[in-house]
Amino acid sequence: MWRFYQSVSAALRFHDYKPQPLGFLSARRWMMQFKKDDQEHAALLLENVIYLSERKTRRILVEQNEALMARLARAGIPSKNLIYVQVHDPGSSSPVMLNMLRDACSLERRGCRFMDSRDSYGITKLTSELKEGALIYVDDFVGTGNQFCEARDFAMKNVFVPTFSEFLLVPSICEEAIYKIAAKGIEAFSGHVHSKAERPLHDNSAILEPSAKARLREVCKGISPRMSLGYKDLATMVVLYRNAPNSVPAVLRGNLNQTPFAGIFPRASDLPLKKLG
Amino acid sequence: MPTLKPTQHEALQVVPSGQLRRLNAEDIKPSTNNPRVLFDPPQLAELKKNIAQHGVLVPLTIFQPKGQVKYSILDGERRYRCVVELNQEGHLGPDGKPLKLPANIVEPPTMIAGLLYMFSIHNFREAWELMPTALSLKTVMQELGETDNAKLMKLTGLSERQIERCKSLLEFPEKFQKLSLDPDPKTRIPPNFWIEALPVLDLAMDKVENVKKLGRDGATEKLVEKYRDRKIKSVIHFRRIMESYESTEEDKTANAKVLRHIERFFLNPKTETRELFDEFIVDKKRIQNALNACETFITQLKKFKLKYTADDEERESLRKSLIEVRAYCESLEEALKGSDDPEAPKD
Repeated sequence: MWRFYQSVSAALRFHDYKPQPLGFLSARRWMMQFKKDDQEHAALLLENVIYLSERKTRRILVEQNEALMARLARAGIPSKNLIYVQVHDPGSSSPVMLNMLRDACSLERRGCRFMDSRDSYGITKLTSELKEGALIYVDDFVGTGNQFCEARDFAMKNVFVPTFSEFLLVPSICEEAIYKIAAKGIEAFSGHVHSKAERPLHDNSAILEPSAKARLREVCKGISPRMSLGYKDLATMVVLYRNAPNSVPAVLRGNLNQTPFAGIFPRASDLPLKKLG
Repeated sequence: MPTLKPTQHEALQVVPSGQLRRLNAEDIKPSTNNPRVLFDPPQLAELKKNIAQHGVLVPLTIFQPKGQVKYSILDGERRYRCVVELNQEGHLGPDGKPLKLPANIVEPPTMIAGLLYMFSIHNFREAWELMPTALSLKTVMQELGETDNAKLMKLTGLSERQIERCKSLLEFPEKFQKLSLDPDPKTRIPPNFWIEALPVLDLAMDKVENVKKLGRDGATEKLVEKYRDRKIKSVIHFRRIMESYESTEEDKTANAKVLRHIERFFLNPKTETRELFDEFIVDKKRIQNALNACETFITQLKKFKLKYTADDEERESLRKSLIEVRAYCESLEEALKGSDDPEAPKD
């Protein structure tokens, strides 16, 4: 009976997960892949997923942005001196977040500027033109912070105007990244800081009994020996409506092409190719 | 402290102001543009040892950019880095707490003051790349309305040749400048390409009718295409074109032929620089003559045994001449930099 409730609850909580529809049956199918003794642990793992639906993601971004804009306005920086920067490649989550924010907060009407972190020429030129202001990087999730710092360093490589402050606007960020980003002097405005204690399969978490943790880790290893706990063993539990980060444990993502183990939150790149035509 | 206003020269004075405070290293943001190589490891180790013994004695100069919680450094990046490292290593101050940094907090500098400050550190420590330097120089020229090389040299600390090179880059429209900051190294055009191509472009636009018809942007695009197709194997090869033209100036027939080859070079995407212009390059004799002249010059000067010349007037006029020789030699040496070998490292 508890499996039934777990599956219903999962279907209700995660219904807008974009890469693959998530309903009662798929939740139940995911659960049934575990050995009977492990199903309870898997259910507990699922309960600890921090799911950011589209609505919640938008709400966090808007609230954080309003707080940031208000602070900058108090400091004397008008919205036309704010440069919103999308990080990473086109097609990744950052531009999607930025578009969402732009529309929800009417950033264009407020005169804000938009740039791509790869357009180092454009950023250099614009910062010189504006003379002072703020660079606001927008992303969906930051894990280790390595990828973000790399993109930011490229963007700022040629910016020599020292009168710009830098911020990161992100719905969720891992505690590891907070320190790394702060060391660069960038302040993160985030709705959620993902601590290690919140991640049941992480070494620093006591959510699961040690034996249960060991069992699930073994299953993860069986699915993906190299990425069993996700990128850099972060074992994060944040899943966004648009995609799961690559730092989630393998039991959530499943195998490539979803066989033999089908994940409950496969990343778009984990799914089999759809036939065209 | 450089709390400068863009309204000309009194703006460039350093005005000491602000308040002195002792801050934690975490309250301060490292500079974005201070490259790591700027810090000589042995010197940094010496400073670190000194700070570990005595603490930071000379206050940093910092400011708080609008809206930012942390302070940005105007002066004292090395002291800051030493303290960060010492704190990370668990070194404690005399009070048993992590080391703090004394700092003068000043008003945020204006954009132009900040930019000139950045120029000064980069000139004395590590040069910026050429394209960003050119863009920064452009900002300085626009903000201060200053284009005179001598004044720009004084303001930025750049050499005249660096300023000339930057100005050459800035002569190209933005769409071309952008190609030198392309994030993809495979498609990036080295800044030297523009500098070497500029005289060829000027020459072709001035003397070759069919190139003129392409328009300046069109002609530039042809050169970019050629470079990407590896028909210009080294940017130095542009010099062969100029050398061909200049060495045939006295011979009208040969000079007309060079111009026809320049036309072919621009209009036929398959033609290579060397294949078109090598025939006009003057033999190696003049280089050998120059080498001999250098050797004779030094030998003769040594023979004169001039080191202890006592007469003030004669000494001064000799110094003046030597300075002129040095300036010419330096400019020639600078102009000859680079390699004809396509595999040699590029700018």
